Amino acid sequence: MVPSWPPAPPPPPGTQAAASYASPYQAAPAFTPVQVRQSFGQPYPAPQPAYPVHAYGSPSHVTQSSPTNHSPTVTAASPPAPASEAPRKKTIWPDSVRNYVQRSFLPDNLDETVSRQDMEAKLKETITSANDGGYMYTINWETMPLPQEMIRAERNRTQTVQQPPPIPPVVPSFSSPPAATSKKRKSSDLTDTDLAGGPWRNNNNRLEDRVTFTADKRLATNETPKAMSKFQKQQQKNLEKRQKRFHGDYTTHREPSPPPSDGPVVGTSQVLEKRYLRLTAPPVPSQVRPESILRQTLELLKQKWRNEQNYTYICDQFKSMRQDLTVQNIRNEFTVEVYEIHARIALEKGDLSEYNQCQTQLKALYQRGIKGKSLEFKAYRILYFIHTANRSALNDVLADLTTAEKAERPIKHALDVRSALALGNYHRFFRLYNDTPNMGAYLLDMFVGRERLAALCNVCKAYKPDVPLRFITEELYFESDADAAQFILDHNGQHLLEDRDGTVVFLTAKAGLHFEGPRATAFGRVDIKGQI
Amino acid sequence: MDALFDDFSGAQKKCNGDLLSRTVTAGLTNDELRAIWKTCNAYDVKDVIKHGLQASDIGRSGAIPKEELKAWVDVYAVYWKAVGELLAVRDTSNDNRRASQASWAKVYESWKELLSALIKGYNSSSFESWTIPCLYVTGKYLREFAIKADAEKNSTQDNAAEPNFQDDFDPEAQQNHHLEDCARQLNRVFNTCLNDRAPLENSRKWGIYHVINLLFKTYFKLNSASLSKNILKALSAGRGDMPPLEAIPKSQQVTFKYYEGVLQFLEEDYVQAEKHLTEAWRMCHKDATKNKELILTYLVPCHLLTAHTLPSKKLLEPYPRLQKLFLPLSQHIRKGELHAFDLALQEGEDEFVKRRIYLTLERGRDIALRNLLRKVFITGGFEEPKSEGASPLRRTRVPIAEFAAGISLGCQETLDNDEVECLLANMIYKVMTHLLTVFWTQNLMKGYIARERGMVVLSKSGAFPGTGI
Repeated sequence: MVPSWPPAPPPPPGTQAAASYASPYQAAPAFTPVQVRQSFGQPYPAPQPAYPVHAYGSPSHVTQSSPTNHSPTVTAASPPAPASEAPRKKTIWPDSVRNYVQRSFLPDNLDETVSRQDMEAKLKETITSANDGGYMYTINWETMPLPQEMIRAERNRTQTVQQPPPIPPVVPSFSSPPAATSKKRKSSDLTDTDLAGGPWRNNNNRLEDRVTFTADKRLATNETPKAMSKFQKQQQKNLEKRQKRFHGDYTTHREPSPPPSDGPVVGTSQVLEKRYLRLTAPPVPSQVRPESILRQTLELLKQKWRNEQNYTYICDQFKSMRQDLTVQNIRNEFTVEVYEIHARIALEKGDLSEYNQCQTQLKALYQRGIKGKSLEFKAYRILYFIHTANRSALNDVLADLTTAEKAERPIKHALDVRSALALGNYHRFFRLYNDTPNMGAYLLDMFVGRERLAALCNVCKAYKPDVPLRFITEELYFESDADAAQFILDHNGQHLLEDRDGTVVFLTAKAGLHFEGPRATAFGRVDIKGQI
Repeated sequence: MDALFDDFSGAQKKCNGDLLSRTVTAGLTNDELRAIWKTCNAYDVKDVIKHGLQASDIGRSGAIPKEELKAWVDVYAVYWKAVGELLAVRDTSNDNRRASQASWAKVYESWKELLSALIKGYNSSSFESWTIPCLYVTGKYLREFAIKADAEKNSTQDNAAEPNFQDDFDPEAQQNHHLEDCARQLNRVFNTCLNDRAPLENSRKWGIYHVINLLFKTYFKLNSASLSKNILKALSAGRGDMPPLEAIPKSQQVTFKYYEGVLQFLEEDYVQAEKHLTEAWRMCHKDATKNKELILTYLVPCHLLTAHTLPSKKLLEPYPRLQKLFLPLSQHIRKGELHAFDLALQEGEDEFVKRRIYLTLERGRDIALRNLLRKVFITGGFEEPKSEGASPLRRTRVPIAEFAAGISLGCQETLDNDEVECLLANMIYKVMTHLLTVFWTQNLMKGYIARERGMVVLSKSGAFPGTGI
C-alpha cells in the first residue's frame, strides 16, 4: 500500500497535512516514504480523543470519498449534518475543561523545555478543536495529555522516525467486502489521518479553520481520512511495549510516555450495521463505530424500520449502537436521539424491557442538561408509573417536575390522567384517553382494560336498575356498542345484557359484584419489566 | 491520648460500653483531636498505643487477654489515623482543601478502616458484646462523613468518566457513591449483630436496633426506602431470638417505630402505619419537637384516611410548619369546599410531594366531596310528612342537577351531568376502612343513581354513614 502513495504529496496550501507535518521534512525528501510509520512511533498507547474525533466532523467522507466501494444501502443513507457545521455558539466552558487548564499550569506539571507561549497556544488549540468538534463534553479531560506532554510527544515523534517499518496491515476478517477495501485504503491513508488529527502540528494555521475545513480539503485531494485499524493499534501498542522493555539500554533518550489512558475507547469501525453482543471484556476499538458512523447507522435504521418493520433486527441494531455510544462515553444530543428513537420503537412494539432501559438512560441524559424531547418522555414516565401503580416513583416524578413543565401539554395530560384515576373519575379519564398526545396511547392501552373494569364495578354498584348500553359505550369510550357488549361478554356478563325494544340495556342492579373479581385480577397483575 | 487510655481502662473495668464508645468518637473538639494526634507519629503509633494500653490499670491487671488487647491496639491505631484526616479537613477551609489534599472522602475512607478494624475485633470473637456501642457510634459518624464526602464530590463536579463496558450508562453510579458504600458497611455491622450466636443476655443482638435505625436513615436518604424491607424481613425471621424492642432505649424505639410506620405509609397500609406511628408518638420525648413534627407529618394523613378525622388547632399549635401544611386543607375538607381544597392542594403541592404525602392527602378530596354532598342533601330539607305526628323524613330523592350545582360552587367550570354522576357513583362505590373495625367497611354514601330520571335515591337510614345523617 505504501508504494501507491505519491512519494511526496503536493502540499495544498493551508492544509494541515502540508503545513504541519510535512514541513520538517520537506528539506529532506528521503524521509517521505517513512511518513506512514511515524504514527507507530507515537508515544500514546491509545489515540488521544482528538485524533479520530476529527473524523466526526466529516461524517460524509465515507460516502463521498469512495462511492464505488459502498453497498447501495450505505449510499442511500443520507449523510447527517456534520457536527462541525453546527452554528458557532457562545461557549460556556465546562468545569472539566477548567480543571484541565488549571492542571496544565500546576507547578508540578510544568516543563522548563516548553515555553509558556507554546503551552498556551497548544491549550487554545486543543480546547477550541474540542469545542468546534462538538466533543467538549464527551472527551475525558481527566486523561487528556497536558499541553506540555503533547509538545514533548511531538518532539519525540520526530526522533522516532528511524524505526523499522511496520508490518503491513492485515484486513480484519470480520469486515464485509466493501468495508474491507476501505480498510485497506484506510491503512494507507493513515498518515493523512494522523496529520489531520493532530491539531497541534500546525501552529501557523488559524485555529478556527482547523476542524471545519480539513475534511473538505482532504476530499479535494481525494484522500480518505480514516482512523487506525485494530491491527495498527495493536502494533502500536506492541511497539511501545517493546520500547519500554528496552528502555534501560535504549540509545535514544525519550521522555517517559504519559500513563496509558484509561479513558473511553475511541472506535474506528466503519461498518454501519453491527450485531449486538454483550461485552465481557474491554471493547476493541476496531469493532466500535465512532459517532460519525453511528449517525449514518441511525439514518439507515430509521429507513429500514420504515420499510421493513423488522423489530428483532432493529432492536438488535439499536442495542449495539447504544453499546458503542456507551463504551466511547458519548453523551450528547445524538445519544439522546438514539435512545429516544429506540424507546419509541420499543413502546410501539410493547417491548417494555428495552423501553425502560431507554427511559432510564434518557432521564439521566436530560438531567445532564442534554436537549431532547424531554417533555414527551417525561410524560411517558408518568403514564408508565400509573400503569405499574408505582406510587413512590410517581412521587419522585412529581418532585422532579418544574412548574413550567407541569403546564406543558404532554405532561399536563399525563398528570391529569394520574389525578383522574387517583380520584376514580373515570369519566374524565376516558375523555383524556381519547386525547392523548404523542405515543402515550400505547401506554394508556396497557391499562385501559383494567380501568374499564373498575369503572364497570362503579357503575354496577351505583346505578339502578339499569343503564342503556350506549351509556357504557360513551362513558368508557368504546369504539361502538358492539365493542362495549363484547367487553362485557368477554367477562362472562352475557346475562347482564338485555334487548329492550331495540335498545340494549345493561342490567347494573343484577350485576352485583360480578366485575369485582376480574377487576382485582387486572389490578393485581402489573408486570414490571426492566428497571426504571 | 492519656485520656483515651483512662477511658478505655475505666470502661473495661466497669464493662461500660457507652464510656468505651467515647474512645472512638469523632465528636471531639479540634483541640481534643489535636491532643490525640500529637501524641505519636505514623511510625510509633502502634507502640505508643500498645504501651499506653498495657500501662493502664486494666492493662496491668491482665484482665484483658493478649489477643484482644492486640485487636484494640489495631483499632486505636486506625482511629489515630482517622483523627489525623479529620483534623486536616477541619483545619483547612474549603478553599484550601484542594491544595492541602485533605478531603472528606479521605476521612470517610479512614473511618471505614476503623469500622473494619472493629468488625474484625468482633468476628474474631474477642470483643465482648457490651462493647457494641463502639460499633454504632462509629457507624453513625461513618454515615455523616459519607454524606459530606458525597457533597464535596458533587460540588467539585469531578465527573471522572470511568471506563464502562456496559451496554448503557449507569445514571446513578457516582452521585451517592460514598453513602451507598456506607450502606454496605452498615449492613456488615447489621450482620455482625444479627449473626451472633451467643446467648441473648450476652449477645451483640442488643445493638441491632441501633444499626437498623442507622440503615433506615441511610436508605431513606438514598431514596431506596424499599431496601429497608429486607432488613425488617431479616429481623422478623429471627424475631424469636431478638431482644424485645421495649428493652432498648426509648429514643431508639421511637426512631424504629417511626421508620416502620413511614414504610407502611409509603406502601399505603395506613392502618399498620397508624399503629406504628401512634406508638412512636406516644413514646416520643415531650421536648423532641422536631421528631414529634416528623411523626405527625405522616400520622395526620393516616388519620384522615383511616378515621376521617382532622387535626385540631391545638394539636398543631406547637408546629407552625405543620399548621401551614395541614390547616387550610383540613378546613376545606371540614366545610366541604371542594374547589378551595383543590387550590390548597395545588398550593402546597411542592411541599407535600417533598414529604411524600401528596398522593395520600389528595385522597382527602373524597371526604371533602362527601361533606359537600351531605350539605346539599341537608339543604334539600324534609319530605311532606305522610301522616300527622310521624317523624319528618329527609328528602332522599335528590335531582343530580342539585349536586351538580353544589359541586360547581366556587369554581369557574361547570361539570357536565355525566361527570357529576361519575363522582356520585364513586361516593356510592368507595369504601373506607376504619381503624377500629378493619373488617367492617362502609361507603361514603348510601343510595343509587336512577339515570333515566336524573335522580339520586339516597338511603333513608343513614345516607352518609358515619356522619350522623
